[in-house]
Amino acid sequence: MPGLLSSPVCLTVIWFLSWSLRPSRAQIQTDEVSGVQYGRLGSNVTLACGKSQTRIPVVWHLNQSSALPWHKVTSDGSLVLLHTDHSAQGNYSCYDSQGLLLHSVKLRLGHPPGLLSISCQVPNHTHVRCSWVDSVKTFLPAKYNATLRGNGHEWRPCIVDITRKHCDVYQPRYWVTIHTLRVTETNGLGSETTYGRFRLHELLKPDPPESVLVKELEGYSKRLYVSWNSPSSWPLHDAFPLVFHIRYRPQGSMYWSEIYSDVSPVIISDALAGHLHQVQVRARDEVNSDSQWSEWSPLLLVRPWEVHTTTEPTEEPLPDDDDYPETSTAKTHKPEAEDEGNLGLVILLVLFSVVILTTVLSLIFVVWVRQRRRDHLAIQELASMVKMKSMPI
Amino acid sequence: MKLLLDSSSSLLFSLLLAQLPVFTSASPVPQRRPSDMDKLSNQTKNLMKLTQELLREHAFDSDVEPHRFRSLPEMSNRSANDLSNLELKPTLSQLHADLKLYEHHFEWLNKVSKKHHHPALPKLVEMIREMKSLITLLHRQMLRVEAPRLTPATPSLPPQLPYQFDVLQSSQELLQHFKLFCDWAYRAFLSLKPKVSAVQ
Repeated sequence: MPGLLSSPVCLTVIWFLSWSLRPSRAQIQTDEVSGVQYGRLGSNVTLACGKSQTRIPVVWHLNQSSALPWHKVTSDGSLVLLHTDHSAQGNYSCYDSQGLLLHSVKLRLGHPPGLLSISCQVPNHTHVRCSWVDSVKTFLPAKYNATLRGNGHEWRPCIVDITRKHCDVYQPRYWVTIHTLRVTETNGLGSETTYGRFRLHELLKPDPPESVLVKELEGYSKRLYVSWNSPSSWPLHDAFPLVFHIRYRPQGSMYWSEIYSDVSPVIISDALAGHLHQVQVRARDEVNSDSQWSEWSPLLLVRPWEVHTTTEPTEEPLPDDDDYPETSTAKTHKPEAEDEGNLGLVILLVLFSVVILTTVLSLIFVVWVRQRRRDHLAIQELASMVKMKSMPI
Repeated sequence: MKLLLDSSSSLLFSLLLAQLPVFTSASPVPQRRPSDMDKLSNQTKNLMKLTQELLREHAFDSDVEPHRFRSLPEMSNRSANDLSNLELKPTLSQLHADLKLYEHHFEWLNKVSKKHHHPALPKLVEMIREMKSLITLLHRQMLRVEAPRLTPATPSLPPQLPYQFDVLQSSQELLQHFKLFCDWAYRAFLSLKPKVSAVQ
């Protein structure tokens, strides 16, 4: 017997019986939804009972239930739903008097699209991302078509991500004064086109610097080492330099100190010894001062190096810059620049004093030579006078 | 002997005097001499700064799509990718031709601004001077690398501007265009810098 039950013939018979004995309602459920009709919320919506108008009267069901929202049925069998609200949505079916399904339709209610609120982000010169928000909640699925153009030029497609409601353009014509984005939203009740105008060079805003690292410098109780990487979305090319803004303060202080630098790393040399410091870095396009600063990198906390000994604290010796090669990289750090300037001034002054001294000595020499010559002349004159006196008249 | 003394003392004195400017101008810290490409990029940046100042000082909120100037250098065909593949000679020649075209436009603007006593006039004059200086520098560089000089396009300039408003709108349009041109040109000079060193 078990062998008989598992035979292919028996299995086929069981499958056929189970298929033929399925409730007829289930068959209707899978086949009945033949289309979707859209209607405006709050308005009267008419659902026709198919194209045939011969088999009236008809019976309407909503989701297999005879309970319907506020409605009337017209003489041709159409169902008119009055002042619809969300509860009127669902699968409508109309049957003839014998219970035979004549037509079914899915009703979705909502609003036609309204204008969109569009904004664009420009994380670098090769990418523009524009996103939008509906000004009207439509409750209906929508499709979007987006295009971008520079003033007076052709429209280029902006690739839409429908779920995130944004679109991307790669390699835009960046060096054009004004760009226009055109987004057309289409749903079952209509379509609406919104235009947005932008100056890409004013929207340029890099992503924040990455891999920001702040650490103490061993042996230096007032110094901090800060390094970072350019945002990975920024092109690594000479043509796209970035400027970085570093800010730091002792935790609890209201005032930030600042450093601007073109390169990483920098050394902070005026940290408050023994205090925890907050440090952040942000970036901006170095060329275009109309562009925007990136967001700040996450706040990092660091304490400058401290002597961990129990002996009496001693006066900290002044660190020798030559012993620490990394300090030379802090190009834009103001105190270091001042040191360089002071050294230059001293050398200049020494040279100048040497020149002055040489000039004075030469002048003295010249004056001395002239004086000697004058004395020599006077002696000669005296001698000639004596000679003249001694001459017989 | 007298003659000898006279001449030697004056020679010594003049030598010292001649040395004085050399000493005073000599920098104690040896500095890297800016290359010609550095000069070009610095001058472009300077021009861009002037343009931005003019735009800020005479802000004019116009959302009208600019259309007055049809003969400005075409910027819509330049993309960021192009900057990594620039060729030295054609780019220098093109930048020179573009600058000459801008020079014509700004001289025209200067002329109409004079008629309307535009307050931006002094800065505009300064800008044109700086532009001429950049053109000269660029031309010198072109001669050095033997880049050909292109025939500049004939500018098509608007006819009479009857109202102050037209002058303002025209100056805004020109300055906006020129700012972006300088942005591109500056980046182009940065990109070309290694290529110039390779040629020279």
